[in-house]
Amino acid sequence: MGPHYTTIHDEETTWTVQYAIIPRFSQAPLLDNLDPKEKDTMEVTQVLLSAQAIDSTVRKHAEDTLKQFQEQNLPGYLLSLSGELASEEKPVESRKLAGLILKNALDAKEQHRKYELVQRWLSLDVAVKSQIKACLLQTLSSPVPDARSTASQVIAKVAGIELPQKQWPELIGSLLSNIHQVPPHVKQATLETLGYLCEEVVPEVVEQDHVNKILTAVVQGMNANEGNNEVRLSATRALYNALSFAQANFSNDMERDYIMRVVCEATLSPEVKIRQAAFECLVSIGSTYYEKLAPYIQDIFNITSKAVKEDEEPVALQAIEFWSSICDEEIDILEEYGGEFTADSDVPCYYFIKQALPALVPMLLETLLKQEEDQDQDEGAWNLAMAGGTCLGLVARTVGDDIVPLVMPFIEENITKPDWRQREAATYAFGSILEGPSPDKLTPIVNVALNFMLTALTNDPSSHVKDTTAWTLGRIFEFLHGSTVETPIITPANCQQIITVLLQSMKDVPNVAEKACGALYFLAQGYEDLGSSSALTPYFQEIVQSLLNVTHREDAGESRLRTAAYETLNEVVRCSTEETARLVLELVQVIMAELHKTLEAQNLSSDEREKQNELQGLLCGCLQVIIQKLGASDTTKYAFMHYGDQIMNLFIRVFACRSATVHEEAMLAIGAFAYATGPNFAKYMPDFYKYLEMGLQNFEEYQVCAVTVGVVGDICRALEDKILPYCDGIMTQLLKDLSSNQLHRSVKPPIFSSFGDIALAIGENFEKYLMYAMPMLQSAAELSAHTSGADDEMIEYTNLLRNGILEAYSGIFQGFKNSPKTQLLIPYAPHILQFLDSIYMEKDMDDVVMKTAIGVLGDLADTLGSNAGSLIQQSLSSKDFLNECLSSDDHLIKESAEWARLAISRAISV
Amino acid sequence: MADEVLTPQKRDPIKSSVGNVAAQRRRQQAVTLRKERREALVRTKRLCRVGVNVDDADVPVDGEMMIDEEQSILEAQTLKAVEELKLAVAYQGKGATQKRVSALRELRRLLSKSEFPPVEAALEAEAMPILVQCLSFGSPDEQLLEASWCLTNIAAGKPEETKALLPALPLLIGHLGEKSSLPVAEQCAWALGNVAGEEEDLRNVLLSQGALLPLARMILPNKGSTVRTAAWALSNLIKGPDSKAATDLIRIDGVLDAILRHLKRADEELATEVAWIVVYLTALSNSATSVLARSEILQILVERLASSTSYQLLIPVLRSLGNLVAGDSYVINSVLVTGSEITVNVIQALVKCLRSEHRVLKKEASWALSNIAAGSFEHKQLIQSSEAVPLLLRLLSTAPFDVRKEVAYVIGNLCVAPSEGSGRPNLIVEHLVALVGGGCLPGFVDLVRSADIEAARLGLQFMELVLRGMPNGEGPKLVEGEDGIDAMERFQFHENDELRSMANELVDKYFGENYGLDA
Repeated sequence: MGPHYTTIHDEETTWTVQYAIIPRFSQAPLLDNLDPKEKDTMEVTQVLLSAQAIDSTVRKHAEDTLKQFQEQNLPGYLLSLSGELASEEKPVESRKLAGLILKNALDAKEQHRKYELVQRWLSLDVAVKSQIKACLLQTLSSPVPDARSTASQVIAKVAGIELPQKQWPELIGSLLSNIHQVPPHVKQATLETLGYLCEEVVPEVVEQDHVNKILTAVVQGMNANEGNNEVRLSATRALYNALSFAQANFSNDMERDYIMRVVCEATLSPEVKIRQAAFECLVSIGSTYYEKLAPYIQDIFNITSKAVKEDEEPVALQAIEFWSSICDEEIDILEEYGGEFTADSDVPCYYFIKQALPALVPMLLETLLKQEEDQDQDEGAWNLAMAGGTCLGLVARTVGDDIVPLVMPFIEENITKPDWRQREAATYAFGSILEGPSPDKLTPIVNVALNFMLTALTNDPSSHVKDTTAWTLGRIFEFLHGSTVETPIITPANCQQIITVLLQSMKDVPNVAEKACGALYFLAQGYEDLGSSSALTPYFQEIVQSLLNVTHREDAGESRLRTAAYETLNEVVRCSTEETARLVLELVQVIMAELHKTLEAQNLSSDEREKQNELQGLLCGCLQVIIQKLGASDTTKYAFMHYGDQIMNLFIRVFACRSATVHEEAMLAIGAFAYATGPNFAKYMPDFYKYLEMGLQNFEEYQVCAVTVGVVGDICRALEDKILPYCDGIMTQLLKDLSSNQLHRSVKPPIFSSFGDIALAIGENFEKYLMYAMPMLQSAAELSAHTSGADDEMIEYTNLLRNGILEAYSGIFQGFKNSPKTQLLIPYAPHILQFLDSIYMEKDMDDVVMKTAIGVLGDLADTLGSNAGSLIQQSLSSKDFLNECLSSDDHLIKESAEWARLAISRAISV
Repeated sequence: MADEVLTPQKRDPIKSSVGNVAAQRRRQQAVTLRKERREALVRTKRLCRVGVNVDDADVPVDGEMMIDEEQSILEAQTLKAVEELKLAVAYQGKGATQKRVSALRELRRLLSKSEFPPVEAALEAEAMPILVQCLSFGSPDEQLLEASWCLTNIAAGKPEETKALLPALPLLIGHLGEKSSLPVAEQCAWALGNVAGEEEDLRNVLLSQGALLPLARMILPNKGSTVRTAAWALSNLIKGPDSKAATDLIRIDGVLDAILRHLKRADEELATEVAWIVVYLTALSNSATSVLARSEILQILVERLASSTSYQLLIPVLRSLGNLVAGDSYVINSVLVTGSEITVNVIQALVKCLRSEHRVLKKEASWALSNIAAGSFEHKQLIQSSEAVPLLLRLLSTAPFDVRKEVAYVIGNLCVAPSEGSGRPNLIVEHLVALVGGGCLPGFVDLVRSADIEAARLGLQFMELVLRGMPNGEGPKLVEGEDGIDAMERFQFHENDELRSMANELVDKYFGENYGLDA
């Protein structure tokens, strides 16, 4: 029996805020009629120097002066700066800063700020811009390296703005003419500029003739004949950016051979920086032009293998990176094959890794012995051994079983050696190859190794070895243990021992304890989906207690130990069974007490506050998991709800700890809590609402905003029509977010989905939001209808956006269904059908979108009935779309389509 | 400033800390969970339809259900749930009721779960006898509710699945009585409504088991979802085609009064269900039509028609009105007398429907009007002078075919007086001239061209009126001007004798050898 609908008459509510559908940008300042030459009299040198002073008052004063100058006379300001940069009489410090300020006046990280700056530059007087550009080009000839380099970057920024507008057409020509200049420093600066330019602009805005000339200049600059190392380095770095322009050149055998030869030669340069830059080019070529590599792969192997063995670390790391990125490519291609080698893929797999295997694996194994003493404690560490092991792991994923016989002798030879480096390297090698090879191949080995590992974790004198051993155990559990594995490696016979050893290791030094937690995490995960009984049940209490003890360790802040312990606790709870429900319930009180404790602390330093904040996050995360767990069954939910008021009170107090932002983890937990509480959550809304609003307002921290948007959906489903009193506020905020050009794009799809959630909850009361929400949806739909020319990432995002829009439509239609107000939706139907038509024609929607889209077609028919019948019959492709979905292999699509067919036939037959 | 340029991003080490991955996963799980819940909610809403459908609206889905993983899991769960239920029913110890109720609830959840509820699996597991057992009198309400809910969902399945309810019907009917709690009675009515909607044989079984009286009594109170559900079930039960149930229903004490009361005052949803009852009463049973025609129902229907905007409601109300006009001459002769307020109101309400965007409303309003236009000369005059005419003329040229056909009947009727004796109907020249002047002729010529025999005949008949009746012998010229000759000549060798001779006769008579000579 479905819910019964009641017609609630619309109360007169005033809607005070109107939002423009198109983001409104602040206008660029108007130009006064300045004659720049006359007004350019300000002496900026001293100010620029003062702006770098150590004395903060002097600095502050200088910054204010610059700001004032900019506000009063922007063209004059920019001219002064470019003049300063170009002037050979000025000190290098003021020239550099002038260039930097110019650069920052052209580009910004934030999308909306960047747009403003671009508009501002474009609206400047042409004469002013020409003069600035002349100064910049002139600086490229400066004998001062810093001035040249700064000018290069500014030129690239200007090019990034002007070339797409078809302005500054002479730039590339005049740069290329510089190449033939005699002084090497001019040549160097020009190559550097070309490199930055290729980084700033997209290939489409540069004509092929110019591309050819740029590449020629760059490759000539890289040539071994080039006597000047600075020139050669700049050219090599420029090539790295220019590679994406070289599609046509890489399709031409001669040109490609030439480029490859020059790059390979550069890897042998006596200058380490040139070698490194050349290897970076090789890495990029490996992923950009994978399908062109076959003729060169043998040479590249020789070069990289020599570099790994003999060269300095930065170079050797790039040489390893080359093979890692080849693995990335082949993993992607093989994944696309989906195991069927007949499938047509854009790029064929050349099996470079498989062919190189006999030589590649020994080379990588060698690197594993080059560990650094403190790498386990240093979170950002990256060295030869780490890169080698990471690459070995990718190789294992690429080739599967074939790697095992090549690695086993190394493990057997080294695992019992007295030198810790050998034991650690052997263990690391083993841990690295556990993903990829088949369980059949690995299980017999793991069965033998498991006992050895457990002993090593207890007894090995080296904590490096113990760290890697615990990690390897985690990998064993991650890939070879779980409900899908046929031959279990964990049996009643060894389970107890495993747990005992892991719990014991949690008392070891922080990095080892952290890895032991990780192993336990994957051990618990393997018991997910195993039904009503878990092998961990007898140890549940002991495990939980041990993990709680870890969180209380004095040194739990090191090596992210506390985080690991709490996340492991979460996983243990999440994968637990009914048998331990009572214990989870007891855990609620423990975690609540911990959270309460964090709220008692007074007068915290900012450092302490950050720690408090982090701990609250971990505890809220834990409560989120517990709430989900207990909320899933009626009996436990009932028992848990005794704590409802207390928990909510704690969450509110966590929110209150901060003034301007809301706590992301607390928000996540509230989502789970609202769902478990259902309509009773209404009583918490008056206190909670302001934090909900605060979260929605926080588009700077977009993850917070995204999480909060998700919580809106949770609350809608919990409260249903009781959310109505809060909807004006929520909708206002959501619409404001959508109109903001600062909002991270990833938040938009969930906002649209939440429109659907709201409509489903409040039904026809959504009426008053239609006039705001529908145009938003409509313009977003238009934007997302076509993806021509977009890259994979953009297509993926577009599909997310489409899905959000379609979920909104579904929610709105289903919300209005059976209400007397359905006809309000009729005017929107043609556009929605058109949107469905165009995404169908575009042929690039993913399965999720397809399912949602065909559902919307059904919803439209279902709600509008015969009003939609003729529209649907008229629409270009509804029928084809429906038929395609009906014959889909994806049962979810098919199911939606069956339903849509039913709804449409009802609508048409009325 | 970028001194160290071009440092490609470092790759994530294979040996990493569990914390980062775990927190990310936890977040992802929350998102996935949310997505599942949203989809489940949309699915539920999609399945929830107001109980009443227009007769022909249910197009059966092909039986090609997908046997896939999810479905087979659902089936396995269903088997298990039925087994649990059997155990629970057999169990007699402490908490037996609670056990039974939760086993029933689990089964009911599974049966409500997907778009393709595992009804077949439940029946194969022999759920029916055990559900019937759960319906035994004296059982706790919660148990009755869950059991009848399960039955409701089974009855919503395929025809043979609905038939499986046969052994449960006497008990379901039994629980409709006054001694039952409202939710139980409502749920039972729902189940019975699904059964009654399935086919005639099942309706006859229900009627012979006495379902009519208790269901009828359930619609007597003033409001509530129970009344609505019962009204819906009742409308399914009296669907016929046998008229006996409809005739019996109207004779039950209080039913007429309740129908009028609900139509007059109830919310639109209840009024909708009750209007469907009236549709079947007036469509099937002469005596029910006669009783209703003599009540104040016409006024009430007209008021609803004028005030509501809900298509769900307007359609059955309009159809009831049309049925009444068509079904009992008393309505035209004694209620909708010209000069009375009600008649003006009826026409106004029908005009509103003609203006609607909704095809069915336009079509049925035209049909009702055509029946009124078939009345006395005064009725024709009334319509001719109303706002309906311009609307009809527009519809005749722009509306979908089925609407145009009904409109043509109205216009045709307006132009002819009731024939005295036999022979051709008498013309009302004044109306004919006005309507032809309003541009209706091309519409009729179009009908002549249609493949539909009835429409073609209507077109030819109207053309005959024009040829014969337009003053000053203008008719033939007008018809020729609209390519009427061509349209008629298509019938020269038509397989339908009547149309062929009619067309040939007209062509011969008006466009024979002498045509055009005197022009």
